[in-house]
Amino acid sequence: MHRRFVISALCVCLTLSAAARTRPHYGGTLRVETAGDPWQMPDGIARRLVLDTLTTASDTGGAQPALAVRWESQNAGHRWEFWIRPGVHFQDGEALTSDTVAAALTDVCSRQTGVGAGAGAASGACPWRTVRGVGASVVFISDSPVPDLPELLAQTEFAVARQDASGAVIGTGPFRVTGFANGALTLVANDDCWSGRPFADAVELRTRRAVRDQWLDLSVGKADIVEVPPELLRQAEQQHMNVLVSRPVDLLALTIAPEGWFASREMRQAAALAVDRTALYNVIFQKQGEVTASLLPESLSGYAFLFASDRDLDRARALRGGATTAAMMLGVDDNSSTMQLAAERLALNLHEAGFSVQVLAAGSRQTSALALRRVHLEAAGAQAALDEMLSRFGQNGAGSMTGTGTDAAALWQQERGVLENETIVPLLWLPRAWAVGERVRDPRLLSDGAPDLSDASLEGAK
Amino acid sequence: MTLRQKMLLMLALTVMGVVAAVGWTGSVRVRHVFEDIDRQQTEMLVGQFQREFNQRGADTAEAVHRMADSDVLKRIAFDLNNGGDSAPYLTVALPLAQEYRLEYLELVAHDGSIISSLQWTARFGYKEPAIGATGKPAFLKQEDLPDGTSEIGVFATRTVTGSDPALYVVGGRQLDAGFLQDFPVPAGTQVLIYRNVSGPFDTHNFAASADALSAAAHYQALVDDARANGQNAEGVVYVTGRREDSMSVTAIPLKAADGNVLAVLVVANSRRNMVEVQRHFRDIAYGIAGLGIIFAVLASLWIAARISRPIEELARAAGQVAAGDWETRVDIRSLDEVGALARSFNNMTRQLSEQRDRLVQTERVAAWRELARRLAHELKNPLTPLQITVENMVRAKKLPKKQFDEVFKESAATLTEEIENLKTIVGRFSDFSKLPKPQVVEMDAREAVRRVVKLYGPALEEKHIELGTSISAEPLMILGDSELLHRALSNLVLNAMDAMPEGGVLTVSAVRAKEVARISVSDTGAGLTPEECERLFTPYYTTKQHGTGLGLAIVQSVVADHNGTIAVESVEGGGARFVIGLPLVGNAHA
Repeated sequence: MHRRFVISALCVCLTLSAAARTRPHYGGTLRVETAGDPWQMPDGIARRLVLDTLTTASDTGGAQPALAVRWESQNAGHRWEFWIRPGVHFQDGEALTSDTVAAALTDVCSRQTGVGAGAGAASGACPWRTVRGVGASVVFISDSPVPDLPELLAQTEFAVARQDASGAVIGTGPFRVTGFANGALTLVANDDCWSGRPFADAVELRTRRAVRDQWLDLSVGKADIVEVPPELLRQAEQQHMNVLVSRPVDLLALTIAPEGWFASREMRQAAALAVDRTALYNVIFQKQGEVTASLLPESLSGYAFLFASDRDLDRARALRGGATTAAMMLGVDDNSSTMQLAAERLALNLHEAGFSVQVLAAGSRQTSALALRRVHLEAAGAQAALDEMLSRFGQNGAGSMTGTGTDAAALWQQERGVLENETIVPLLWLPRAWAVGERVRDPRLLSDGAPDLSDASLEGAK
Repeated sequence: MTLRQKMLLMLALTVMGVVAAVGWTGSVRVRHVFEDIDRQQTEMLVGQFQREFNQRGADTAEAVHRMADSDVLKRIAFDLNNGGDSAPYLTVALPLAQEYRLEYLELVAHDGSIISSLQWTARFGYKEPAIGATGKPAFLKQEDLPDGTSEIGVFATRTVTGSDPALYVVGGRQLDAGFLQDFPVPAGTQVLIYRNVSGPFDTHNFAASADALSAAAHYQALVDDARANGQNAEGVVYVTGRREDSMSVTAIPLKAADGNVLAVLVVANSRRNMVEVQRHFRDIAYGIAGLGIIFAVLASLWIAARISRPIEELARAAGQVAAGDWETRVDIRSLDEVGALARSFNNMTRQLSEQRDRLVQTERVAAWRELARRLAHELKNPLTPLQITVENMVRAKKLPKKQFDEVFKESAATLTEEIENLKTIVGRFSDFSKLPKPQVVEMDAREAVRRVVKLYGPALEEKHIELGTSISAEPLMILGDSELLHRALSNLVLNAMDAMPEGGVLTVSAVRAKEVARISVSDTGAGLTPEECERLFTPYYTTKQHGTGLGLAIVQSVVADHNGTIAVESVEGGGARFVIGLPLVGNAHA
C-alpha cells in the first residue's frame, strides 16, 4: 500500500512537472543581438516586431491572412482587393483603415523608386500602378497581371507603418518601440495587439554588434538570441551551441553590368564560366547551403539542378579570346570579411580566365561593372520567390510567364530567359542561422530565416 | 704689347698655370679619395645588409621551424592526414602568424595547394611553389597581394614535424622600411630598398625613411639599370641643381634563388663633404692665384724697373738718334748686360757725333776746296785770254801805229768780253751766296709750271725737242715764291735741254700725290750714272763743259726753302727725271 502510494505520488509529480514544462509563460525580456540594422532587411527584427503586413508567408509557400482577412483577384490579376481585418489599431490607438493601408503602401513604393530603399529591399518599383482604400478594402490596380500579389504583400518591405508626431514608427505589431539607449533598442509588448499579446514583456535589441561579441554574450548569458553566419555554423556546432538553421534563403550572386568589356554576352558568359562555386562552398562557406546556378533554391523550385554550375575554365578562356582587358573593379555590397574573401576568390577565378579584376575596398562608393551581392529571399512560394528575386536584381517584368503561377516548367523557362543574359550569375544559396540561449523556449524561425520573436517565451519568466 | 706687359702676362700665366695644375690635381685627388671612401662605405653597408638579411632569414627560419614543430600544427597535420577537411583551417594562418610574429604565412598541403594563407586568404587551393625550398636556408621571395601589389620578404619553408604526407609551413617577414630602421646608417648616407620590381618604376615601391624617400625619384635610372641587367649600377645623382646636393649612388640587385631580381638595394652617399672640400680647395687655389697675380704684377713692376725701363730708355734714345739727335745719351749705370748695352750705345752715339763733326768739317773743307777749285777754274778761263791779250798789246806796241790800232782794237774787244765773263761768274757766285729768302704766298703750283713751259716752248721747238705736259686739273695750292720756283724750274728745263743736244722729248708734269704737289721734269738724254746722281746737287758740280755747277744747287736750295724735296731718277742712257715735292696748303710748314 505504502509502496503503491509512493509510486502514484511520483507519477503525479512527474506529470505535473511535465505539464509545467510545456506551457509557455508570460514575462521576461528577450535579449537579441544582431550585426546589422534592426529596421533594415534581411533581418529587420525590429520591423517585424513593430509592423504587420497584409499577409504572411506560410511554410508551404502560400499566403496567410494577417492585416487582411481575405482577398480576391479580378480582371486576370490586374485588380486585387484585400479586405482589412476589423478592430485593428495602431500602437498609438488609431484605428487601422484601408486608407491608412493604402497610404502606407504608397509611401513604400515612393521610397523604393527614390533614394532611401534599405539593403535587401526591392530594387525595382512596386508591382501595382495604384493602390487605394475603398471602404473596408484596399484595391490594387496594375498594368500587368500580378498573380502572386498576396505572397508579395507578405514581404516585410510592404509592412504597414505610420509615423507619429515625433517621427517615430508606429505599427500594429506585437511590440512597440519605447526607446534607444546604450546601443540597445527597447521594445515592449503591445497588450492590445490584434494577434494577441506576446509572451515576452519586452525585447532588448542590441544592434551593430560583432558576431564574436554576440557569441561571447550568449556564452555568459547576456544574450538570448545571436546570429550565426553560415561560414561559422560548423564552429558553432563544435562549440555545442543551440543553433537554428533555416532553409537556403540568401542568394550569393555575381552581377555583371552589360557595359564596357562586358557589353557582349560572350564576355559575360566567359566570366560566368570562370567562377569556381565549389571552392566558395567547400572552403569559404564551410559546406553550408548549396551550390547553385539558379535564382531559386532547389527546395523551392525543384529544378535548380537543371542550371549548370560547374566551372569550365577552358571554355571561359576561349570565349574571352585574346582580348586584353583593362583592370575591372569588383564591388561588394556587404562589408563583412567573408564577403570580401569571396570577392577576392572570384577575382582570382576571373584572373585565371584572363580578366584583370580588382576588388574594391570595403566601404568604397566607387561603382563597378561587377558586383558580389547577397540577396535575401522572403517569399515562400516559387513564383513569388522568383518575382521577388527578379525585383531584387532589377529585372522586374523580365522573362515571360506562359503558364500558371505554379507551373514549374514555365517558371524554369522564365528564369532561364533571365539567366541566359548572363547578367546575373547565382553562386550559392545560403541558410540563415541563429544561436539560442537556454532561456528561450521553443525557438523557431520564420520561413525566411528570421527568428520568430513574437511567439518566443522565456524559461523562468513570471 | 710692351715688354712690361709681356712680362706681366708671362708671370701671371705662369702663376695661374701652376696654381690651376695644383688645384686640378688636388681636386681630382680629393674626388678619388672620397670615391674610395664611398666605395668602402657602400661595401661595408652591403656587407652589413647581408648580415642583417642573413640574421633575419635565420630568425624567420627559426620561427617557422618552431611553428612546424608546434602541437597545433601537428594536430592539424594529423587531422588532415586522416581525412579531415582543410576548410576549417582557412583562417588558421592569422593566429599562428601573430603568435610567431611572422608577416607572411601559408600552410600548404603535400600537393602544394594552399590550405591557409595569411597574406592572401582567397588563394586557398592554389599552388605554392615555395615548398621546393623546404629545408633550405632562408630565401628572398616576392609575394603577390590581393590589392595587386607585391612585397618582398625573407622566407623559410619547413615541413610539419611528423606529417606524412607532408604539411608545409611557408613563413616570412617583410623586407620593408622597418627592416632598414634597425640599420646603422652613417650620417649623409641613405639606404633604400626598391620592391615590386616587375612593374614600371614607382617611387611608392621604395622602403626607406622619409628623408631618403624625398630623393627616391632621382634614382630611377640606376634602379632600372640594376633591374634590367642584374648587375650593380653606380652613378652620381643630382637631387637638386647644386653639386653639394648630389649623391654617389650604388644600386645592388637582390636576387631570388633562380636569379630573378626581386628587389634593389640602393645605397646613396652624400657628396656634400667632397664638394665642400673641393670647393675649399678651389677657393684656396683662387686665393693663391689671386695672390700670385698680385705678386706677378709687383714682380713685373720690379723687373720692369730693373730691365724693361733701361731697354725702353735705350729704345727711346735710339729713336732720337734716328731722328737726328746724335747728342742723345742714356743714363744707365747698372753693371749688367743692360748697363753694358747702354755704355756701348753712349759710346756709339759719341763716336757718331764726332764722326759727323769730322765729316761736316771735312765736307766743309772739301766744299771750300771744291769752291776754290771751281772758282779758280772759272776765273782762270777768262784770265788766260786776258793775260794773252795784254801780252799781245805789249808786243803790238812795237808795230806800226796802224797795225797797233788794229791789234789794240781786237785786244780791247777781247778784254771787254772776258771781263764781262768774269763779272758774270762773280755775279753768279754772288747770287748763289745771297739767294733771297722766299716770299711765300698761297699760289697754284701749276702756274709756275705753265709759265716755264710757255717761256721755253719756242726754244724747245728750235732744238727739235718735243714737249709733253701733264698738269693736274685740280688746283695745287702751295705756299711758295713764284719767282724762285720759276728760277728753279727754269734751271731744270735748261739742264734737260742741254742733255738732249740732238733732240728728244721733254716732259713736264704737275700732279697731286697725297698731300704733296709733285712737279717733275724728265728728258730722254744720256742719263746719269749713280755717282753723278749722288753729287748732282753739290755746288759747282757739273757734267757739262760749261756752266758754274750752281744751277741744281740753286734748285735744291729753293726747294729746301719751300720745305720740299727733290730727287733724281736716272739710268745711264735712259734719260733723267727730276721730281720736286712741295707740300700742299694745309700740310705746308710755315
